[in-house]
Amino acid sequence: MWLSLGVMRRKLRIGAIAAGCWLLAALPGSIRAQQNTLTLQLLARAGQQALTTEDSCTNAAGETFAVRNFRYYLSHIQLAGADGRYYEAAETAAYLADMRDSSSQQIMLTTKGPVQSIRFLLGVDSMANVTGVHTGTLDPAKGMFWTWNSGYIMAKLEGRSPQSTAPGRNFTYHIGGYKTGQQTARWITLPVTATPANRLVLAADILQWFGGSAGVTIASHPVCHEPGPLAVAIADNYTRMFSVVKEGEQQP
Amino acid sequence: MKLRVLLPVLLALIVGGSFIAQYGPRPEITRVPFPQPKGWPKPLYDFKANPLSKEGIELGRRLFYDGRLSKDGNFPCASCHQQFAAFTTFDHNLSHGINNNLTTRNAPGLFNLAWQREFMQDGGVNHLDLQPLAPLTAPNEMGEEIDSVLVKLRTDKRYKKMFAAAFGDTAVTTQRMTRALSQFMLTMVSANSKYDKVMRGEAQFNLPERLGHGIFQQKCVACHPPPLFTDFSYRNIGIPDDPFNSDKGRMKITGKSTDSLSFRVPSLRNVMITAPYGHDGRFFSMIEVMEHYRKRLKVMPATDSLMRKGIPLSNFEIGQLTAFLYTLTDSSFIANPHLAAPADITVPVAADAADHQRVR
Repeated sequence: MWLSLGVMRRKLRIGAIAAGCWLLAALPGSIRAQQNTLTLQLLARAGQQALTTEDSCTNAAGETFAVRNFRYYLSHIQLAGADGRYYEAAETAAYLADMRDSSSQQIMLTTKGPVQSIRFLLGVDSMANVTGVHTGTLDPAKGMFWTWNSGYIMAKLEGRSPQSTAPGRNFTYHIGGYKTGQQTARWITLPVTATPANRLVLAADILQWFGGSAGVTIASHPVCHEPGPLAVAIADNYTRMFSVVKEGEQQP
Repeated sequence: MKLRVLLPVLLALIVGGSFIAQYGPRPEITRVPFPQPKGWPKPLYDFKANPLSKEGIELGRRLFYDGRLSKDGNFPCASCHQQFAAFTTFDHNLSHGINNNLTTRNAPGLFNLAWQREFMQDGGVNHLDLQPLAPLTAPNEMGEEIDSVLVKLRTDKRYKKMFAAAFGDTAVTTQRMTRALSQFMLTMVSANSKYDKVMRGEAQFNLPERLGHGIFQQKCVACHPPPLFTDFSYRNIGIPDDPFNSDKGRMKITGKSTDSLSFRVPSLRNVMITAPYGHDGRFFSMIEVMEHYRKRLKVMPATDSLMRKGIPLSNFEIGQLTAFLYTLTDSSFIANPHLAAPADITVPVAADAADHQRVR
């Protein structure tokens, strides 16, 4: 013990200051460590089956059809932890998911700790609909925009069915409309349980587009190309199409 | 010693220079103020999002007159919007599109667009930047696809330069193309007719014009208020549906039966050089329009309340009113060289339109 008590005290003080500095320096790092990335994987499905352009599907009304195009916008993707507070989790304002483009169905999100629920707008908000020509996924050249009646097509489902009475036995649902009474963008909120921290799988089931309170069938309505009551009814239907896929049943 | 002084100065110059190059104003983009006429309302267009520049306007002008925006190369915007007819189609009830198509409506004049909130005669388009995409993609008009136009523009050396000059780099996007078109169209300000000169105290009405102005203020001004000579409302003025060109107008956009056969009130500026009249150009002369208002209109459930009894007009009043309407022709607007085609572009015209141009 060649150090006096005073010197030891001073050393302790220096140590404490050093430790404090280290903590301060490390704190943003630890917050950064908490901000993990999460891959939002979207799956296109018809019921429990993976949706492909080749296979035939059957809806609740017993109509058989094949889908050649299924696309929809997602925007304002938000996540919430245990405190239930939602925060913006996506880098880009809007994403365009396309069944034929697997990369479009993978969205990187930033999390702040464990995720308890996710919510997003299926479609794009009114602001995007009234502020002219946008770039990126919102470029009108993406084919998700009406030039004759300004506004985005929030979601598109197209295919062929023997039950269709439209030319070419086609059925084409271009669902859009942002004005009062014609709104087709829908908030989707889903609780997230028992998923790995870095991956969240959502299935979008196109069979949910049919039926509902309006009883939508291909035979009764093979075509929807404008805002209005039919588009709103189908939007109410597609509000139900998402579900969280539990680990282990991702590949049906 | 000298080096000690020089080195920091040099360093400061390099750092400062690169900073200005990165963040300073781009000297090659020449901002241009909007030509706001005195006493007019504030424009509705958002110039903050798309500020006017000499380069942007010049690019927009070339795009407006370039046939490559259409599928077969023959239908630029200017084929249906001719300057000498205040940017309507001269002497055409309906305009021509690709493959011998006819449009379903009379091409509206293009001027004073900065004050207009909605476009198309049914108001379906909610932003000036979006407007060109409607005729560009319509199968009976320019019949093109946006991507295909962008590809054509990207392979053109001159456009590469012009996009860079207007927007800072050579990227050709839908947004830039439409913003440039807007910049050019926003400069189409018509505010220098005889009427405007009279209002500014630079000229005087003659007797028929003055009498006509009085009649106008009694019988027309409710829907055609100055200075824009439209209130931008949508009204059914008793024009019955044409079964061979069924067009329900505003109802197509709102889905409301009360909007059946309603179309936007057109501006009366330049009206005497924009015949034919009516949403589908069914009135070939002004006298037919007057006859419609005083006798022929058909009252329907959706017909405007101001129109249900027609507009009583004597032959004398029609004469004076017509004299007044002539004072709304802006001859400096239709001859403005800044709005004309770039010198190296010849606008392709349909055979019949070419004949008319020769007569002119």
